[in-house]
Amino acid sequence: MSTQTSPQTDTAARGIAPTAPRRRSAPQGRSAAAFLTPFLVLYLVFVIGPALYGLVLSFTDASLVKPGLNGAAGLGNYGEALSSADFWSSLWHTMWFTILTTPPLVILGFLLALLANRVATGRWFFRLAFFAPYILPSAVVALIWMWLYTPGLGLLDTALGKVGLTAPSWLGDATAAMPSLALTTLWWTLGFNFVLYLAGLQEIPRDLYEAAAMDGAGPWQQIRSITIPMLGRTTTLVAVLQVIASLKVFDQMYLMTSGGPNFATRSILEYVYDQGFTNYRVGYAAAVSMLFFLVVLAVSAVWFTLVRRQEKEV
Amino acid sequence: MASTTIAAPHAPGGITMERIHRREKLFNRICAGVLIAFALVWLVPLAWALDTALKPNAETTKTTWLIDNPTFDAFTRTLRETDMLSWYGASFIISSLTALGTVIAASMAAFAISRLRFRHKNLVFWVILAGIMIPGQVLIVPWFREFDALRLLNTYWAVILPQIPAAIGVFIFKQFFDGLPRDLEEAARMDGASFFRVYRRIVMPLARPAVAAVAIFTFVTTWNDLLWPLLVLSNPDLMTVPVGLATVQGAFGIRYADTMASAILGAIPLVAVFLLFQRNIVQGIAGSGLKG
Amino acid sequence: MTNRPDRWQPTEGVALSRRSLLRAAAMAAGLGIAGAAAGCSSSVASGLTASRDTGTLDYWNLFGGGDGVRMQQMLDGFRKQNPGIDLAAVTLAWGNPYYTKLSLATLGDRPPEVAISHLTRMKNLVRADLLQELRSEDLARHGLTPDKFNQRAWEAGLVGGKAYAIPIDTHPFVMFYNTDVCKKAGLLDAGGKLIPLDGEDAFTDAMRRAKEATGAYGGAVAFTSETASPWRMFQSFYSQLGGQMLAEDGTRVVIDEAKASQVLEFMGSLTRDGLFPNPIDYQGSIAMFANGEAGFFFQGEWEITTFQTAKLPFSMTLFPNVYGGNDYAVQADSHTFVLPRQPSNDPARLDRSLTFIRSMLDQSKTWTEGGHVPLWLPFADSPAYAQMSPQSNYASAADAAAYDPDGWYSGSGSNFEIITGSAIGGVLAGASTPQDAINQMRGNLEQLAGTASPI
Repeated sequence: MSTQTSPQTDTAARGIAPTAPRRRSAPQGRSAAAFLTPFLVLYLVFVIGPALYGLVLSFTDASLVKPGLNGAAGLGNYGEALSSADFWSSLWHTMWFTILTTPPLVILGFLLALLANRVATGRWFFRLAFFAPYILPSAVVALIWMWLYTPGLGLLDTALGKVGLTAPSWLGDATAAMPSLALTTLWWTLGFNFVLYLAGLQEIPRDLYEAAAMDGAGPWQQIRSITIPMLGRTTTLVAVLQVIASLKVFDQMYLMTSGGPNFATRSILEYVYDQGFTNYRVGYAAAVSMLFFLVVLAVSAVWFTLVRRQEKEV
Repeated sequence: MASTTIAAPHAPGGITMERIHRREKLFNRICAGVLIAFALVWLVPLAWALDTALKPNAETTKTTWLIDNPTFDAFTRTLRETDMLSWYGASFIISSLTALGTVIAASMAAFAISRLRFRHKNLVFWVILAGIMIPGQVLIVPWFREFDALRLLNTYWAVILPQIPAAIGVFIFKQFFDGLPRDLEEAARMDGASFFRVYRRIVMPLARPAVAAVAIFTFVTTWNDLLWPLLVLSNPDLMTVPVGLATVQGAFGIRYADTMASAILGAIPLVAVFLLFQRNIVQGIAGSGLKG
Repeated sequence: MTNRPDRWQPTEGVALSRRSLLRAAAMAAGLGIAGAAAGCSSSVASGLTASRDTGTLDYWNLFGGGDGVRMQQMLDGFRKQNPGIDLAAVTLAWGNPYYTKLSLATLGDRPPEVAISHLTRMKNLVRADLLQELRSEDLARHGLTPDKFNQRAWEAGLVGGKAYAIPIDTHPFVMFYNTDVCKKAGLLDAGGKLIPLDGEDAFTDAMRRAKEATGAYGGAVAFTSETASPWRMFQSFYSQLGGQMLAEDGTRVVIDEAKASQVLEFMGSLTRDGLFPNPIDYQGSIAMFANGEAGFFFQGEWEITTFQTAKLPFSMTLFPNVYGGNDYAVQADSHTFVLPRQPSNDPARLDRSLTFIRSMLDQSKTWTEGGHVPLWLPFADSPAYAQMSPQSNYASAADAAAYDPDGWYSGSGSNFEIITGSAIGGVLAGASTPQDAINQMRGNLEQLAGTASPI
């Protein structure tokens, strides 16, 4: 690319303008290439390459247990997915999970951060309580919650029994299973939003509140007129990260219900897993992955637009 | 009360402030109460898991916090009957190597983008950033075929390699490097230091917070990853902790104390990581999140 | 995160004490990890180097509950006899995840030496080229010759005339009956045996009398959030009529509408007339029979342990021959031992694996206690088995087993069973007519039959 990295030229450049910023000197292409190579090679081999390969696979009848592409399928896989009730129901389950988890995670995360921001001492304790679950592996969370949900013997059944309520069949009932998974997810990941909101709250200058207090605004008014508007960006971020994470849900279903009962909790990623690795239908699974990718892209695009608009307003 | 009313005519401002402060104090106390209640509720599942694990299996069907015969049997039995120790080893090696690889590859790329001039720089940066948009989950199908062709399935490399080129790491490092002062580097360049020396001796030492954030994050997310390792590590003695727990949980059946002991054993390393690095983790989330 | 001031900085004193504590914890953790690494250095090394053979005999199975306990006894028996073989047995969660794991491990060159597979799932593993052929000379070396196995199960397991699986049992759909209820209902003969329920009328009549005796229901079969049980019941009746579901390796759907609607009409009448409960899930159906609210219970024989544990007065017999006449049939599958394809050939390993399988077959008695029908003739033909009650009551099911049809989407726990089972369940629930159910099955199955087979 360039020869400017040789020592002579460097010395020469130094000789000419020892104190001037080096902005105007020639490109440092060879060094740049050396620095970029490790990342870019891995990036090409394990991100860009597979993404293109996946796209190719999606137009074939490729099988997990056969070499090669196993014949072209044209748009057949896409047609099959879009007309498959299983595809749409797993997409709907994913959406339903997103709908069930996002609002409580965002709102509760905000409220708890708001409270924690007002409490001067013992923050480490709250961080431990809310954030520690977040760093646990999903398998650990699943084992603990499956035990809590165990019919008859579980802590939840017993606790509800003490107050005279009959517990639903948490994971065994088709309508109760998804809310149960959502509850587990709320416990597991709330800490992430809690931390983001707490950081956002600390960005708000204290004198804003003091000024409002001088004007006679009570705590609730302060929250309404200062905190919530000031946290607009954080809320957009939290909500979008939350939606994208929810769309990618797999672990909870795989571990706790295996997508059941009767496929009532099978998410889109679990559908990909089932088709690609249980039924060996790699080509079809690749097509479903691509459709899923489009959904994620669409959500990201919405976020971009929102952020743009917010930035214009500020 | 009385004193405030008396003082009222003389110092109106003072009264308001005092009343505000008192009101705030009360409000803060309520806040603390609610928060503590929530925090306690949030700790119940973990406490209950620990409580169950300390019971003999036969005692677990009595749903009570009291333990008649506390015992560590469930833990020793789990360690003996599962491959938990190899899972620890696998998780530790995979997560460490992934974190190391990510820090090196991402920081080097970010250094080039932040400090060097080369053609198509913007293009390169945008191509890398586009990677943030591609979730690894949509690549599992082509990845599996790729690692099958490379004959690397059922090795740790199958888990490590695809996680290293994480665009978010480049982004975090670039943001950090852009914020660092350049005088030192320029002086070193004047003295004939190579770019690699500048990167290694000046920039990286200054970038320790970013290194910590990226390393810890990569370590934790790699440790917790389930879907991809589940596909490529199919032999129990190669599995990571989450994959192992997910695969053999059925074997415990209704031995609830053993199941909870395995959950706690699976949680311990990360709880340790959390306690050690909680500040880095929390700041990492807050920082990268807000910037991103 | 970059230049953000540190707002979480705790006060110095707290920080110091906590930091030193944490440092101690870190050291402890480090020691633990070092210990772990030392303890499992071999597997860690193999994870990094892709080295394959560990020298142990890895055996994967999917047995939980009572089956799991019995399998454990059998493994202990093997270990006692073969102290020289390092056996590593792994129990994985049942169903699709098990077969997925087995396929992926084999594709990834790290399969177990021996694995359990259902006979109906084994064929697809063979077609996917994931199993090793069992050559007759190798089998003969361990005394595993075809004449020592139940003929129907052995032949059902051949693919293209070649053996890939060694069956250990047949597990048919059976009829459990509460002996107290049946006695009260006058359904037992002088010898205390259940009278035959041949024909729709005899079956319905028995259910009606049992219903009067229990005051609740005559019999029970699970169909709510459960697809396998309704399929098994339907397939038993339908096969007795000689009906077929699929043909040509699952590429054609050949449902016989007349026969299917006759069976569905009959099954639907059981819940419609209140002889069977509706709705009822798997656990609920077990509880109902265990509580004496139903005199009959239709399920796989493996539930024997549940009712033995519950100390219920019960017995088991063949699923009733309602339609078969002389051609009795009952839905069943078999557990088989298979040898996943290994990345390299090693005669010593093959012999280790066959020794293990032979040892399992020799312990057929233990396995039979769990309700399964033995196929290993040295035991199945012995008086020891004939004396086992109720296990030997339904021994002939092995000869009348109606396995799930061939097809890449078929087999125990497969999409095929889910599609058919949910349509049949709709009839039992009174939600759809037999014709609706047939149309639903045909539509969904034709979609799969028309899809290019991935194997």
